[in-house]
Amino acid sequence: MRMERIERDDTHMADLTVVCTDPDTDERSATGQTLAEGGYEVVSCGSLAEATEALEAHSVDCVVTEYTLPDGTGLDLAGRVRDRSPDVPCILFTNESSSAIRTDRREDVVVEYLPKGMPKARESLVRLVGNSVSQCRQVGYPLPDDEDERLAALAQYDQPGMETADSFDRLTALARTHFGVDVAFVGLVDAHEERFLACAGENWETVAREDTMCTHTILEDELLVVEDVDADPRFRDNERLAKLDIEAYAGVPLRTPGGAAIGAFCLTHYEPRSFSDAELDDLERFGDEAMEQLELRRMLNERDDTGAETGEAATGSEHS
Amino acid sequence: MSVQRTRYTFDGLPLADVDRGTNILVAGPALGGIRTLVLRMMLREHDREGAIFITADTDGPATLDAYERLGGSLDATRVGVIDCTEESVDDADHNVCAVGSPSDLTGVGIEFFSLYESLHANGATGVRTGVYTLSPFVLYASPKPVYRFVHTMAGRIRAADGLGVCAIDPDTVEDQTLSSLSQAFDARVDLRREGDDIAVRTRGLADQSDGWQPVDLDG
Repeated sequence: MRMERIERDDTHMADLTVVCTDPDTDERSATGQTLAEGGYEVVSCGSLAEATEALEAHSVDCVVTEYTLPDGTGLDLAGRVRDRSPDVPCILFTNESSSAIRTDRREDVVVEYLPKGMPKARESLVRLVGNSVSQCRQVGYPLPDDEDERLAALAQYDQPGMETADSFDRLTALARTHFGVDVAFVGLVDAHEERFLACAGENWETVAREDTMCTHTILEDELLVVEDVDADPRFRDNERLAKLDIEAYAGVPLRTPGGAAIGAFCLTHYEPRSFSDAELDDLERFGDEAMEQLELRRMLNERDDTGAETGEAATGSEHS
Repeated sequence: MSVQRTRYTFDGLPLADVDRGTNILVAGPALGGIRTLVLRMMLREHDREGAIFITADTDGPATLDAYERLGGSLDATRVGVIDCTEESVDDADHNVCAVGSPSDLTGVGIEFFSLYESLHANGATGVRTGVYTLSPFVLYASPKPVYRFVHTMAGRIRAADGLGVCAIDPDTVEDQTLSSLSQAFDARVDLRREGDDIAVRTRGLADQSDGWQPVDLDG
């Protein structure tokens, strides 16, 4: 069950980039100005093509768009957002009534809708953008209750050098042989994607959070076991998993001493297969080992940081 | 002077008042009385409250009829329906908006936000939203748009101090689906029927006993 998520503090709004698409110059300028006054970085676009370019050129946090664009619709734009950065909220801010909007080819994109004709519509838009981003309102997967705390915890462990750590390579190679599976990996689940610290048997880069099974593993108290991916309603339509040939999965959450699930230690197989209780006990041991490595590295990083600060302070005192 | 309401109340039901902005998943068998439970949770406490139904199991006019029979008043400036059944037709007089298929979650979302805004513009304070039921959406659409729709709807309800009451029949969806969908809600009410005895159990709400409470849905 979800708790009320903490609203993003206004001082952080300046970090957020909003693509504002409207073919009408005056309206685009008025909406852009209100958003900028609300503290957002605004990229203004007049067409679907311009907005698509903006999606490529910037790290975008939210898309605001009119429905009718000279070369398509706001829902076409939402479709492109879902293909590239699926978690980014899209808001139709439009003069069109809801009944005039054709959704038949875009049934899956799911957007917010705010009519321009409402009283104080632009002020409402500024709030809606903030809430949509801070509450992750348009993500296509379940979120943990403690998502904000989880991401804060992850930041402490997600330090440079983790990917190159040999111990994770050794651990996953060992797991792959031990369980006789096609792939064994350690993944960190960040706000929008899973990244792999080590992946024995494959060379996966990143997987969007809405596609990775570890999104569900971090919600589990103990383990997630899916013996046949095609038989599980959460995953059977998932094209990315099909492309990666994942037919069976067992994963254990990597939990910090504070209890935050920051990633998972996982086994996948190209064919459906079962996992015995003894194997799952061993998988938990591999998970514990990986988490201990992460914890040690976090402590080393912390000690290095403290050391560096102490060093600077000493240098400073010499010159005073 | 207007009195600011701070909680939503459920008259005649063994459910404690809930905070504004709460989203509740109501799970129970379709034939066990869950429709009546949801309709009664949707009864407006006073005229200024609004009510929006999102229906996929029963059509809009039938939903409004059933609501009226349970004592709900049908003021079109305060009450509306997003009808997602395949036979749905728009009816502006009764605020029925047709979407035409539970697979069109983009359409459902847009009609819902449009109606939500217009009820607020009409002066409604506190809008109850009832989804009856989520099951057809789960069956006809794929998981990602369903999560997206539920998060977006629940988020708007939370931010607007509304109330969300979302029904699902656990027998129509797989356990994994139900469990991961529950994640989007603040609380869950389960309904069970044994013979003529109906009981509800609540989880995730403050000031509420977590055991089974008998309920008389005809009363």
